[in-house]
Amino acid sequence: MTIYQHITDLIGDTPLLHLDPAVHGLDGVDLYAKLESHNPFGSVKDRVAWAMLRDELETLRTQHRTLIEASSGNTAKALRILGAIHGLGLRAMTNRIKVGEVRDLLRLLGTDIVELPGLSECPDPTTPNDVYSAIDAAMAAEPGRFRHLSQYTSEKNIAAHHDGTGYEIHEDLTAAGIERIDYLFGGLGTTGSSRGAGSYLRKFHPDLRTVAVVSEREDFIPGIRSEREMWEVGLFRPDFYDEIVAIGSGTAIEATLELATGYGVLAGPTSGAAYAAARAVLARPGRTGAPAVGVIIVCDRLEPYLSYIEQRRPELFGRETGPRPPDSAEIAAAPSLNPAELADLVRTAHPVIVDTRGAMAYRVAHIPGALNIPDDRLTDLFTHGTPFSRDRPVVFTCPTGDISRQFAATARRTGHTAYSLDGGIAGWRAAGLELEREN
Amino acid sequence: MTLRRPLRVDRSTPAVHADPPSLPARWDPLVESFLADRTAFDEVLHRFGTPANLLFPQVFAGNIGRLAAALDAARTGYRICYAHKVNRSRSLVRTAAAHGIGVDVASPGELDSALAAGFTPGRIEVTGPKGEAFLRVLVGSGVTVNVDNEWELQTLADLADPAHPVPVLLRISGFTGSQVSRFGIPAHRMEHAFALLAQHRDRLLFHGTAFHLDTGDSGERVRAADACFALLEQAYAAGLTPTVLNIGGGLRQVFTADGDRFDDYVHRLRASLIGEGAAMSWGNNTFGYHVEGGTLRGTPVFHKYSNTVPAAEMLTEFLRAPLERHGGRSIARVAEDNLLDIWLEPGKALADHAGITVARVEFTKESSDGSVLVHVDISRDAVTPADQEVMADPLLLPGDRKAPAGNPVGVFLAGRLCLERDLVTTHMVWLPWLPRPGDLIVFPNTAGYHMDLSAAAAAMHPPAAKVAVVRRDGRFLAVSDTDYRPSSPTTDSTSPEVS
Repeated sequence: MTIYQHITDLIGDTPLLHLDPAVHGLDGVDLYAKLESHNPFGSVKDRVAWAMLRDELETLRTQHRTLIEASSGNTAKALRILGAIHGLGLRAMTNRIKVGEVRDLLRLLGTDIVELPGLSECPDPTTPNDVYSAIDAAMAAEPGRFRHLSQYTSEKNIAAHHDGTGYEIHEDLTAAGIERIDYLFGGLGTTGSSRGAGSYLRKFHPDLRTVAVVSEREDFIPGIRSEREMWEVGLFRPDFYDEIVAIGSGTAIEATLELATGYGVLAGPTSGAAYAAARAVLARPGRTGAPAVGVIIVCDRLEPYLSYIEQRRPELFGRETGPRPPDSAEIAAAPSLNPAELADLVRTAHPVIVDTRGAMAYRVAHIPGALNIPDDRLTDLFTHGTPFSRDRPVVFTCPTGDISRQFAATARRTGHTAYSLDGGIAGWRAAGLELEREN
Repeated sequence: MTLRRPLRVDRSTPAVHADPPSLPARWDPLVESFLADRTAFDEVLHRFGTPANLLFPQVFAGNIGRLAAALDAARTGYRICYAHKVNRSRSLVRTAAAHGIGVDVASPGELDSALAAGFTPGRIEVTGPKGEAFLRVLVGSGVTVNVDNEWELQTLADLADPAHPVPVLLRISGFTGSQVSRFGIPAHRMEHAFALLAQHRDRLLFHGTAFHLDTGDSGERVRAADACFALLEQAYAAGLTPTVLNIGGGLRQVFTADGDRFDDYVHRLRASLIGEGAAMSWGNNTFGYHVEGGTLRGTPVFHKYSNTVPAAEMLTEFLRAPLERHGGRSIARVAEDNLLDIWLEPGKALADHAGITVARVEFTKESSDGSVLVHVDISRDAVTPADQEVMADPLLLPGDRKAPAGNPVGVFLAGRLCLERDLVTTHMVWLPWLPRPGDLIVFPNTAGYHMDLSAAAAAMHPPAAKVAVVRRDGRFLAVSDTDYRPSSPTTDSTSPEVS
């Protein structure tokens, strides 16, 4: 067992996993996963970031440079960590980080995130607003401050995968007595991993088919681009690939789950997309001869993409759904109070008044003495029973009186004296009754 | 640089793109069936001549319905204000009035047009920068003034009569991460504006905040709305009671019938710009790309012709967007909680597919570099928005009802102004045959800004006729745009009173 002296010693030399044929069920196919998720910061980009930075570290440190990069994800994360260890800051320029956890992690690590504005509806040729122009402008505005390593154009990106990822795949397979590699599947981001690894492997396996994976055009898979966005990538060489396959986010998520539950590979949706592409290509009829050997690149880990998956497939998260919503008869039977009646009840019976609106609405104006439990939170509470004492009547209020009736109906099931404010806060206000502000 | 056609794993039928490159346009079924009815179509051209701008109020009405349905589904209070500026058409503004929506006007001329179309002042909102003369007209008129700047706000306060307070919205700009805008009051100056409103409560009736972004980017619109909610809370703290969040326009149109073909065209265009394959652009036009060595950088200066997401879907996504600062409640819910109505100002989205422009081929010729030029009786600025390249293929129809056999031919369409720049297309368009004099070119989807944003009068050509076309009982009826009067949508929206 080796003891490592520095975290960068753990970059690369990632494992190759034979994917159990019983799970994919593809006839005559041996599929391997290159687990780039095993890199120390969790992704294939650790190699690229280190390759671009390594030789320049001393210079950049003495020049007190800040790194600047077009990245909204794994490259920014790796560059930020490697930079931080060596005293260099990072400004990440992005056209929108669409995954919350990724943004939070970059923030947590102290990244200066600059989100670029959306493209103008009436574009002006004199003001290009692509990310490279924005980086050029930032560098011109503060000469000497930044260093742009430029993952989308740096040949070191490709070299890192040529000398690392591709070399390792070849060595590991050869060591296991596997003499040929037929397919390499990889998502297209900067195109570094597929071009680098692919060009190395082609030296030994001239018949290798490289299959690039992109997202469908209006769809979004974090880390890979849609075909139309590939225009923006300086390293992109369409002729390098034997095939370009478009995958939708739904397919990618399904495949991500199969990677996790079928093989124990907890990978992000980009890897799911590569796996889905491998399944589709290798399942095509007409393949004959010796068993095919394919490699997919598993480029990062699952955990940062929970919100991404939940947004698209909320049902997978099996949230407690709460009690059966009241039916129309129950809702009709729920007693309501008009504003004047509620005002009377407040004087005589000291009801608990629950304002089910959001916090801002409550802060701005609420019925004096009311509690604020927003409806989503209240629904959660009701999953464990009615969260109020039976000693006092409960009055639910909402903007216009429809949501509150449902809560009143639900609370009545447990024998509570529950009412809904008819017409809601709007009705209360229209009746000229007092509202108070939260200060 | 040829991109191999991808395998569409998620699609049952793989897309196979045959030559030549094309930008297939989406056509509304109503428009399509009108063009297919050559008797009706020819009669219109006979009566009104070419070039002609044809408007389809029924398509416009359908767009109103779809946006209203999206807002109804979100259970939010709302007002749709048709942004009149996208088209001078009388038939469209009258259709908007008949359907009970609001209207957003940006000039005294548009205000007159809205009033003439039947809008009551309570349904009219005036946006954009306004001079003192215009403000004097607005004070006391009952229309809502969407205030662009602090000078306007102060001027209105000075001019207003307490007997008729002026309803106002404040247009905000300068949201974090947005492009700087020449319009609106900077967000950080709002405290002063609110103080002014509170001080002149008797003269200015504060409705709420407004914004309009120069992008259709949903994330940016969500962030602007989020910022506005915070400002509206500030307004309450200043003693005001806002009731409106105005989210502006910017909902996109869908021009393309096939996103993959669009992408394919642009791929080939890009390849041609770096010298691979045959040239596809006129002269040295790069459409805003930067050619650097062997690669092409940057984003093209096209309007969003590649968009495939309909406006109602964009709107739904926006209304459902969760706001972190509000515990994940959606924009629609936060608005509802605070008894705020959402106002929006769609222009393009309402005019989407509600208009086409017909031009006639005069002659064709070969230019010195071998390109084929097809001369039409219209000019570039009559069919392009703000001089941007239109990336949706026009339709070529035979003038004599017989389409000749022939192979597709790549051409540039040339306009009728004596200016080198007057090419209707500077990207190559492939037409099914070499057009002959008298053939017709139909430009798709021109009602939203395309048909009269900048039509020049320098050469003294009369402007293209505007004609409203409706289908009633399976027949098409046409009337001059100015004479079109919709009947009430509650009785029969398809029944025009055609004189």
